[in-house]
Amino acid sequence: MNGKEYIESLRGLNREVYFLGRKIKNVVDEPMFQPHIHTAAMTYELAHEPEYQEIMTAVSHVTGERINRFTHIHHSIDDLVKKVRMMRLLGQKTGTCFQRCVGLDGLNAVYVTSYDIDQKYGTDYHERFRDYLLQVQENDWMPSGAMTDARGDRSRRPSMQQHPDAYLHIKERLDDGIIVSGMKAHITGAVNSHEILVMPTRTMSEEDADFALSFALPADTEGVSYIFSRQTNDTRRLDGVLDGGNPKYGIVGGEAVIVFKDVFVPWERVFMAGEYDFTTELVETFAGYHRSNYGGCKVGLADVVIGGSNWIAEAHGVERSSHIVDKLTDMIAMAETCWSCTLACSYEGHKTPSGAYNIHPLLANVTKLNITRMVYEWMRLAQDIAGGKIITLPSEKDLENPEIRETLFECFAGKQGFSPLDIIRMLRLIENMSVGAGLPEAMHGAGSPAAQKIMIARRSGIEKKMELAKTVAGINRDDYFERIIGKDETTHWNEVKKKLRGRETEIY
Amino acid sequence: MYTIGLRYCGGCNPQIDRTRVVKDLREGLAKLQTAVDITTDRSRAVDLLLLINGCEHACLEEDYSERDGPIISVEGLMVDRRPVEEDDIPDILIRKILDMMSSSSH
Repeated sequence: MNGKEYIESLRGLNREVYFLGRKIKNVVDEPMFQPHIHTAAMTYELAHEPEYQEIMTAVSHVTGERINRFTHIHHSIDDLVKKVRMMRLLGQKTGTCFQRCVGLDGLNAVYVTSYDIDQKYGTDYHERFRDYLLQVQENDWMPSGAMTDARGDRSRRPSMQQHPDAYLHIKERLDDGIIVSGMKAHITGAVNSHEILVMPTRTMSEEDADFALSFALPADTEGVSYIFSRQTNDTRRLDGVLDGGNPKYGIVGGEAVIVFKDVFVPWERVFMAGEYDFTTELVETFAGYHRSNYGGCKVGLADVVIGGSNWIAEAHGVERSSHIVDKLTDMIAMAETCWSCTLACSYEGHKTPSGAYNIHPLLANVTKLNITRMVYEWMRLAQDIAGGKIITLPSEKDLENPEIRETLFECFAGKQGFSPLDIIRMLRLIENMSVGAGLPEAMHGAGSPAAQKIMIARRSGIEKKMELAKTVAGINRDDYFERIIGKDETTHWNEVKKKLRGRETEIY
Repeated sequence: MYTIGLRYCGGCNPQIDRTRVVKDLREGLAKLQTAVDITTDRSRAVDLLLLINGCEHACLEEDYSERDGPIISVEGLMVDRRPVEEDDIPDILIRKILDMMSSSSH
């Protein structure tokens, strides 16, 4: 499927979507949704361009056919590395979130976990999932990854919530499937995906077994509805072209609340139903994949905003000022630090019992933690370089008004050779990327910083580090040191002290 | 005598104490009076290769991916891609080695 075909494929889905108090009848042609649809379309389009196929496609381990990498199960270190290269590439091409990685990470996480559930319980979730995966690959579907529940009172477990639908759960088990209800919040790409892949949002305990749930459904299944979320300056899309900043591709991923009201899911589409002891594995596996992505996609965005900042500096005639060069260099160093992290967590990946490859979880969490800080910092520097105009520019409508148009162009002119309109265009892009919803998205997408710190602390191997310190400090026996000196440490240090006794008088 | 070729990864950031695992393995096999020779001599022909990787990344597996012959691989807190506790690794290895010895003698 190429980009255009992807957009057309969405027309066949008749889903219930609400936005700004209205029911949206035509999702594909809705101006508020179109930038997000264009961005997702890029994940299809580039897979058909020979110059990007090496990264954008992979060979399916199920069929041996070449497929879009967004439907692929990673089967080597090279797959993990190419995945993050694909993220950076798409960030560079769109300057925003291209949405499709959530489903990709969901496919891989459910693949890994369903295998492990079957090993323990003798269930057939993995076989069901492989059948589903085959459909995803053959149809080149985009599933949205629906993980985060509404969650209500965070101090109470899912089964203890006042509102039962705060977490998506099984209401009834039937011979041919299950009935589910509940809500998933801020789900990326939800209104322009073909499918929904549901996963639990947290570790569940025995009393929460009905909330330990994973399944997939067509996006327009009866009983499923969507409420599209607002983003910074979103209605500027209705005011024209220029003021949107990135009118082609928008800002962040186009998130939505997904409501499930007594929805039937056939067993062949259920991949976890009550195995609460595997919820941690599923959540952590998904989070690891997803956190690693941020060192790719956000660095692609950094490439765009660094380029834009340098262009603006040139347009304003300050590109050689030492403080500008210094700021741009800092932006580049931070972006490449995050890139190094994501490459490292891919190269340090490993094979799972299912045969699929997983990233290095500790390094993936370090990647994301850096992103939660560094995106703010490089966007702050972009604002610094661009100047206050990024928040004081007049509207596109004023630029089109013949009475004031020329005055405004004089006001916003720069160095000779740079058109005022282009300068305004670039400032709007920097405004879109550095002032808007992209910042908290870098903070909270794939989990908030505290979640990364929990994982980092859990996987740091602190006990082993203490043993290292104890050995170097001389508390533990140091076998290798003793081999080097050819005797035990106590004897060695007694001999050293004896030698020092003679030298003390020489020094003092 | 059944010969096991022992290979250690480089040990850059291991999740387990690799040498302790091998020490406990040797002691466990000796207690069972199993006729096994464990060697790190790369020039010798061996019946089984035992890879001691310090972490899940398992660098050694790439080096020996083309090898024709039985391999047991410790991958940090996994053995042959099954999650394990560090203290259980020597016993798991002994069981696997005994299985392989018995299947090779049939």
